[in-house]
Amino acid sequence: MDPTGIFDLPNTSLIFWEVITFAILLALLYYFVYPPLKNQIRQRQQSIEQAIDEAEKTRKEARELLQEYRQQIQEAREEAREIREEARQQGQAQRERAKKEAREEADRIIKRAQEEIQRERESALREVRQEVAGMVMQASEQIIGRSLDRDEHERLISRSLDELEAEVAGSGSGR
Amino acid sequence: MALKLALAEVSQEELRHEILHTWETAKTTWVVPLQIGPIDISINKIIWFLWIGAALTFLILFIGSRALKNRPGAYQVIVEDLYGFGRNFLGGQVGPEGMKWFPYTLSIFVFLLTLNLIGLIPSSYPVTSNISFTMTLAFLTFILTQYMGIKKHGAGKYFKSWTPPGLPAKFIMSPVMWFLHLIQEFSKPLTLGLRLYANILAGHLIIFVFLGLILYFGSFLAIVSVPAAVVFYAFEIFVAVLQAYIFAILTQVYIELAIYADEH
Repeated sequence: MDPTGIFDLPNTSLIFWEVITFAILLALLYYFVYPPLKNQIRQRQQSIEQAIDEAEKTRKEARELLQEYRQQIQEAREEAREIREEARQQGQAQRERAKKEAREEADRIIKRAQEEIQRERESALREVRQEVAGMVMQASEQIIGRSLDRDEHERLISRSLDELEAEVAGSGSGR
Repeated sequence: MALKLALAEVSQEELRHEILHTWETAKTTWVVPLQIGPIDISINKIIWFLWIGAALTFLILFIGSRALKNRPGAYQVIVEDLYGFGRNFLGGQVGPEGMKWFPYTLSIFVFLLTLNLIGLIPSSYPVTSNISFTMTLAFLTFILTQYMGIKKHGAGKYFKSWTPPGLPAKFIMSPVMWFLHLIQEFSKPLTLGLRLYANILAGHLIIFVFLGLILYFGSFLAIVSVPAAVVFYAFEIFVAVLQAYIFAILTQVYIELAIYADEH
């Protein structure tokens, strides 16, 4: 055989042991190494995919939540505006009503005052009339020297006073 | 005169022994004599380094596959990437059915790479520079190739597929082409084994020759020889990876070509 060893053919011991060693190595690798590696890689792939899915789901949820919150805020604003509007209207109505009531009250007071005045005037007029009639009667008695029949007298005076009044009123309205 | 003295330091015969020392002495170092009938199966330095390489190959991958965590460390990433390399770059060269062979070729790749790199350690033995080793491995490829071809297509159809369809002058050309393909089938493992053997052996020999020149011409040549040897040593690391890859991927391609023999 080859003494230099660089063309070592056939080296029976090497061929024999190589086949056996390689067979054992392959068996060990196929049995102990490749299945866990394969599983590990597959598992990682799955977990990455799962993580991506989860992240996407979370993002979607977050977006929906945001949308919901925005809508809620919008609704709350709307509601607030409605409440404000309502309050404003209520205030307005209240004010109107108060104003109206005040006016009515004033009207009533004025009316009552007018009536009072009217009444006062009438009673005053009546008193004046009686006074005047009394005075006229006294004066007439003194002048005439006898007492007139009181009732007759009063009727006379009353008539003349009415005439006077009518005259005054007539001239007043005639003017 | 001085030059003559320097030249006479070693004879050419002695120099040859120095250069080939690794290969010459391997069979007679660390010997455990064994015999099966007439066949010598003694364990020697070659076998020891074969086993060291196999053990390292297994341990590198085994440790990487045991300490598996979901958040991998650097070592786990290397081992997983090695597996991913096998899956993505070795398997499925011709068609998807070849994928199931990538663990085999990946094993070859890591095994050869380990042996190549171990062989670069001084005073080790580069097992891949032994032609018995490379040819045996190539022969395994050959057997697997033919086995897969026959298993997939049946012997008749498989051997028939060796003649390309649509030949002119069918009666003469078909046997010729078939015979050519037969030669090709045998040259495949031959070149496969020789390529690895020659590359690794040549790389080591070049380094030893460069260093041997110092012995022959005198120590002043170290200025040239040592840098040159270092450069080739670095180049050898590249060759170690490249040749392991070529052997693995050609094995894969040959097997897949046999699986898809009917498509070519």
